Amino acid sequence: MMTENENNTLTLTALNRLVRDAIEEQLPMRYWVTGELSEVRSTSVGHCYIELVERNEATGELTAKARGTIWSRVYSLLRPYFMEQTGRDFGVGLKVLLQVKINFHELYGYSLDVCDIEPAYTLGDMARQRMLIIKRLTDEGVIELNKELPFPLLPKRVAVISSATAAGYGDFCDQLNNNIYGFRFGVKLFQSPMQGAKVEEGIIAALNKIAYEIDKWDVVVIIRGGGATSDLSCFDTYDLANNCAQFPLPIITGIGHQRDDTLLDMVAHTRVKTPTAAAELLIHTMLQQAERLAMLQQSIPETVKRRITDERTRISSMLQKLPLSVALMMQRQRHRLDIWEQRLQASSPERILAKGYTLTLCDGQVVRSASQLSVGKEIVTRFADGMAESKITEIEKKK
Amino acid sequence: MQEQEYTYTTAIERLEEILQKVESGTEEIDNLYKLLKEADELIKFCRTRLYEVDEEVKSLLDSINEPQA
Repeated sequence: MMTENENNTLTLTALNRLVRDAIEEQLPMRYWVTGELSEVRSTSVGHCYIELVERNEATGELTAKARGTIWSRVYSLLRPYFMEQTGRDFGVGLKVLLQVKINFHELYGYSLDVCDIEPAYTLGDMARQRMLIIKRLTDEGVIELNKELPFPLLPKRVAVISSATAAGYGDFCDQLNNNIYGFRFGVKLFQSPMQGAKVEEGIIAALNKIAYEIDKWDVVVIIRGGGATSDLSCFDTYDLANNCAQFPLPIITGIGHQRDDTLLDMVAHTRVKTPTAAAELLIHTMLQQAERLAMLQQSIPETVKRRITDERTRISSMLQKLPLSVALMMQRQRHRLDIWEQRLQASSPERILAKGYTLTLCDGQVVRSASQLSVGKEIVTRFADGMAESKITEIEKKK
Repeated sequence: MQEQEYTYTTAIERLEEILQKVESGTEEIDNLYKLLKEADELIKFCRTRLYEVDEEVKSLLDSINEPQA
């Protein structure tokens, strides 16, 4: 074919120009395209070069790839807008929806000029990723584990994970050490980056260090100073959430943001907004115990005192009743004695003798029967006022 | 129960128990003195745990300035 018509031979430039013309003619519009950022590189003059890929959902293998450019005049607006909307820096790994114009250059080939971005798509994807992680943690039964730990009554020994340079750590220590109640805390910093790609690795390493000397600590506090617009996606990873959820000490987070909770906040035992609030939580816990102790210190002796007073009242009322009942008892006894006395008097021999009866004795014995006597015996007759002796001359018995 | 076996948590629990006993009014008067004495000791113990710098915390405070590994 080529030999038939040499004039049909094209230079590469000419061929590429044909491709370019065809593309410009056939694909003149701007197109919305979805993809994953596999490379993001910004230049000193403010342009940004990206690589956009698509993967097979199941295998992760690449199925399509394109280079792209965001010119500085676009990127300078697009980047802050994207950050503000999604809370994430425009970077590798994100799923994005971009408006592009197809470009073909004779030397550089096929590439996409990015004109616009739709952050809602990325947000949707982030939310979906988050949901997947939450579901996985739930299925594995770990999501509530840290929350289920009992919070120490006296959280005095505090292992802090933060970055030493962060203002948040200083605020935390100031708040804790200058508490007006005089509580003393032992605080040690376990350093970790608190922003960027190294956060997950750093926090997990710090947790491992704490776990190594777990008996020394009551509670773990993960804090970071402000920066409401900074990228929080580093606190949203599965490994970090999983490690924190399963950590054997309760974790308090105060990573200084106003947005929705991160996954780290979600699995932590207690979530507060700021480092200062984390310190206040610890102080407040101590204060609760101080109040409880003061209550016990007051109410135990008071209750005992009341009990003793009650008993005293009982005794004194008994004492009041006692004389009366003693008097009553004595009176009753006296009455009984009187009756006895009367009876006794009524039956005394003197009274009988005085009435004119006499008592006969023989040989010192009281004589009750005539048969006790015999003729010739001497008897003594006792009267009330004396006695007489006689001799028996005759005995006559009743028939 | 021996005092040295107590933790703050178990000491506080025992105090609550003592309070309940004396409040119920069923405890023998003879035992009240003993309970009161025990409560006093427990409160001292808890107070120490709450406010004093125990050895562990002290060693922590000392180690703050140590360089990190």
